[in-house]
Amino acid sequence: MSPAPHAPLFVREMGLPARFSLYALFCLFLLALDARYATLSGVRAGLNAVIHPAQIALAQPWEWLQNVGRFFIAHGELAAENANLKRQQELISAGLLDRTAIGAENAQLRALLALPERPGFRLLAGEIIETSPDPFSRKVIINRGGSHGIASGWPVVDATGLVGQVTRVYPWSAEVTLLTDRDQGAPAQNMRNGLRIIVTGQGSDNLLEVRFLDMHADLQAGDLLYTSGIDGIYPAGVPVARVLKIEPPRHSPFARALCQPLGGVGRYRHMAVLAPTTPNAAATGRLLLTPKAKSP
Amino acid sequence: MNMQPLLPQGAELAHPPTRGKVYGSLILAFALTLLPWMDQIRWLVPDFTLMLLLYWSIRTPRLAGLGLAFSIGLLTDVVRGAVFGLNALAFCAATFIVLLVQRRLEGFDISRQTLQLSPILLGKEALVLALGLTMGRGAIDWRWLLAGVVAAALWAPMAWLVDRITNRPSPNERGRQPAL
Repeated sequence: MSPAPHAPLFVREMGLPARFSLYALFCLFLLALDARYATLSGVRAGLNAVIHPAQIALAQPWEWLQNVGRFFIAHGELAAENANLKRQQELISAGLLDRTAIGAENAQLRALLALPERPGFRLLAGEIIETSPDPFSRKVIINRGGSHGIASGWPVVDATGLVGQVTRVYPWSAEVTLLTDRDQGAPAQNMRNGLRIIVTGQGSDNLLEVRFLDMHADLQAGDLLYTSGIDGIYPAGVPVARVLKIEPPRHSPFARALCQPLGGVGRYRHMAVLAPTTPNAAATGRLLLTPKAKSP
Repeated sequence: MNMQPLLPQGAELAHPPTRGKVYGSLILAFALTLLPWMDQIRWLVPDFTLMLLLYWSIRTPRLAGLGLAFSIGLLTDVVRGAVFGLNALAFCAATFIVLLVQRRLEGFDISRQTLQLSPILLGKEALVLALGLTMGRGAIDWRWLLAGVVAAALWAPMAWLVDRITNRPSPNERGRQPAL
């Protein structure tokens, strides 16, 4: 028999309002502590490690269902896809030949100019295991964490462009803040004329913006924006966004540009974390930035 | 109107709510929110844990209360990647209001409970959004308020289901004194 769920004869506890105010105060204290200082990340990582196995287990049946669905794809569809992929493969390998040649030439030229070697990045592939149900932020959880060597701050890309940045690292998973998050920004460079700007998210799923754009800046709809690399975090030359339209200044002295992200921000399941192979990649990355070093 | 008996009578005495039932159902509800919901309907998914927590707070406030609300809120914060204490505060506030009027809610049938609880369920979502706004997270998506509406709509089926599963007698049976 469990303990009786009814009131004891002699009540010896705080009243309800007093208890609630204590809890509320503690919550506000936690809010302030977590918002201002990063002291609670250990507690968060611990709790996450406890919940993580359950999350994986709950996601499993869906995986199996998807696998079963994939098994029953019609043969014709597969054949068509195969032909398509072969064609693409040929195109890509042709492009790759070109690329190796250019890479070799680039290395030679760099050696000639006695520039430090281009900072290397290693790709760590990861898969989205969860999207965060938070109305304020655009974040996803990937299945690579501290035990796989991921560290906070590393850039995340996918096949088509920049996706975001690792912001929290748990033992077996990591939180990636997408480029579309309001608080996320990336230094970019206009491919056409080398204009350097900062692209930030605006909380919408498929729009980025350039805030505080100079009224006379030479930016047009259709321009391609690439990472500039001056922050020392993102490698230079990763596609970021295409400019959709420029809004002329109305109430402020600055114009504003709306862009469309080029990376599949929040669309693809797989993404890659870029792990710097040299400890001072950030420092060397800064040195490398010469506007003319860009190859299309 | 007949008085509520001091001690549980009849079926309520034979199948009292136990710690196991409360925690087991809460864990199930929490697992339900952890499921990989599709992105398109993510903002419509109600907080099942909160609904179940309020249900148990009304039925047995001795077993479910502010402490439980606080712990579940913290876990929700971790899972959602929100600022620590955001959901904990919202959970505590909702439970506090429910506990204040617990005596009244306890005697109501499910449809009247729905009327009384819908502002609380909606208010919790609004509180989370408002807190996020004051923390300076910028533009917010008011669509997320709909989760509160869905929660209110799902309250009646949920309460009925848990009542049946845990063998709770119907309200008119509950108030009646056993024939001596």
